[in-house]
Amino acid sequence: MLDSVFIFSSLALLLGLILGYAAIKFKVSGNPLVEQIDAILPQTQCAQCDYPGCRPYAEAIASGEAQINQCPPGGQDGVDALADLLNIETMELNSEHGETKPKRVAVVDEEVCIGCTLCIQACPVDAFVGSTKVMTSVIADECTGCDLCLPVCPVDCIDMVEVKPTMRNFVPNISEVVNA
Amino acid sequence: MLSGTHKGGIFIPNPYPVKSIRLYQAALPDKVVLPLNERMTEKAIPCVSVGDRVLTGQLIADNEDINSVPIHATISGHVISIDEQPIPHKSGLNTQCITIESDGKDEWVEGNITNKDFLQSDPNSLIELIHRAGIVGMGGAGFPTHLKLGLAQNCNTLIVNGTECEPGIMCDDALMQNYPREIIRGVEIMLHICGAERAIIAVENDKPEAFNSLLLYNYNDKISIEYVPTKFTSGSEKMLIKGLLNIEIPSGGFAIDEGVICQNIATVKSIFDAVIEGKALVSRIVTVTGDGVSMPSNYEVRLGSSFEHIVSKSKPNNGNHSIRMGGMMMGIDVETTDLPIGKISNCIFVNNKVQKEAPKECIRCGTCNQVCPVELLPQQLYWYSKSENTDKAVEYNLLDCIECACCSYVCPSHIPLVNYYSFAKALHFKKIEEQRKTDIARERFEYREYRLERNKIERAEMMEAKKKAIKEKMAKEKSQKDKISAAIERVNKNKKNNIDA
Repeated sequence: MLDSVFIFSSLALLLGLILGYAAIKFKVSGNPLVEQIDAILPQTQCAQCDYPGCRPYAEAIASGEAQINQCPPGGQDGVDALADLLNIETMELNSEHGETKPKRVAVVDEEVCIGCTLCIQACPVDAFVGSTKVMTSVIADECTGCDLCLPVCPVDCIDMVEVKPTMRNFVPNISEVVNA
Repeated sequence: MLSGTHKGGIFIPNPYPVKSIRLYQAALPDKVVLPLNERMTEKAIPCVSVGDRVLTGQLIADNEDINSVPIHATISGHVISIDEQPIPHKSGLNTQCITIESDGKDEWVEGNITNKDFLQSDPNSLIELIHRAGIVGMGGAGFPTHLKLGLAQNCNTLIVNGTECEPGIMCDDALMQNYPREIIRGVEIMLHICGAERAIIAVENDKPEAFNSLLLYNYNDKISIEYVPTKFTSGSEKMLIKGLLNIEIPSGGFAIDEGVICQNIATVKSIFDAVIEGKALVSRIVTVTGDGVSMPSNYEVRLGSSFEHIVSKSKPNNGNHSIRMGGMMMGIDVETTDLPIGKISNCIFVNNKVQKEAPKECIRCGTCNQVCPVELLPQQLYWYSKSENTDKAVEYNLLDCIECACCSYVCPSHIPLVNYYSFAKALHFKKIEEQRKTDIARERFEYREYRLERNKIERAEMMEAKKKAIKEKMAKEKSQKDKISAAIERVNKNKKNNIDA
């Protein structure tokens, strides 16, 4: 009888130590759910969801504060992916927050720009390059098409131009593929 | 010697056989349309403007980007427009083109550099010469040749691909029969550039005339000419290397990793033209075939001529035609013959329009698995591509698919399998690109947040430091004031004492 008590208590102690060690060694820093939600969000940083960016919105979803259907750039596919991740019923995209638009990029009309730098301050991803009283330019590769620079421009010199597919990155239409 | 062959593939005899291979010099076109970029190259920037007179072989567009090749005028005449035009591409998108109207004189530009003593030349200068001549791989992929040669220095084997294994195409056969001397010399130039020990010219065993004409001109012991089986996809780079050298290039690997470089035979001929003759790439041989023409033949034609320019010479019948550019397996369907011939256009099929069999459900017969030359699982790939599950398709080596269309050809349900794969590939690359952009945006946003936060803290610290400095100053001033007032008091006291005394 004493043997078995000894065996089991030492076993429990050993396993407890292993568990305790593992808890320290493999500690997950941060909230993994926020990371996962953030990975699904399109990172447009457009703030149409009423949060200042994608990560704050991800945090709000994780804490149950926000609904999953507030992200127009992510589209219905994004809502479905979030529902899938959170294991909840999917819902329609909330049109109060805006409509899903095709991918666009900001273009500055260089003739009109007065170099006020307001767009530089408004851009959530620092995609503008410029300085006071010199022409501002957009790093097209980094522009997310969030529209946040449009309202701040005093001379309306920023245009959002739709990104057209090129011969290199063209994706055929699936229905045409089937009937070809 | 008949070399070994690879698994899979299919034997298809030439569907439109001819008694003898004929090569015609096509007449000068009235106008040419020259796209600024083709399949694999970056856009060149025009260096002429509308109204300029240009000479044949004159540089009309260039770009400093290493992935771009210069564009040359292919006839003499005037530039009439620089605008978006349709070109034969599966996307159906228009691209920027330079249109030149011929003056019928075909005056060549002068002062070309020739390199007849190429053995005395530095390989790098020859590669630069090839780049300046605007040469790309002319087998269909259109990869810039100077990039390939730049990577290939110090390889051991050069394979010259004369196996246009796609049934129906005859342009390389015509080239080999008509220009054997130029080809052999071109191979010698390439041997000099890449320093290979040997060169193998691969010819299909149904082309004895081409084989013999090359043999007649080959006096170089480094160059051998070998037969490969007439089987579809034996001309694909990896299959050819496996068949000739029994080296298997692993998934994701390149031929150059094994010290092998492959070049299309038409590319070799244009290298000869560039190095020995000093001529830019202005023409190529194109096959016109199909059951819609009564005289399938080959034409040496100026680049930028319309399809119609040579199709009309092949006596087309009056019916409705379906037009296909490239091979009958891997080519692309186009709507009209009013498209320009590019550097990669090797063949034009003109077929009588027939109703295509409607695709039915997959019956899981597995025939596609047997013919796949890359030994993939076309059926699995089909399911995953159809459901747009590109991650899974890539796991099943979608990216190794050479899009040879053997699977589509044998499918008893007429499923256009290969279209699914090219769709899935395009979607996969699009997803990767989107992910890259998303990652950039996330990083930029997070860095911006960090920067704003840091600025705030720095500002607060600065304010704190300033406040402290002012306080210290004030304290210091106070102590000084105290000293002064104490001194005044002392003086006053002394004065008082003096007066009292």
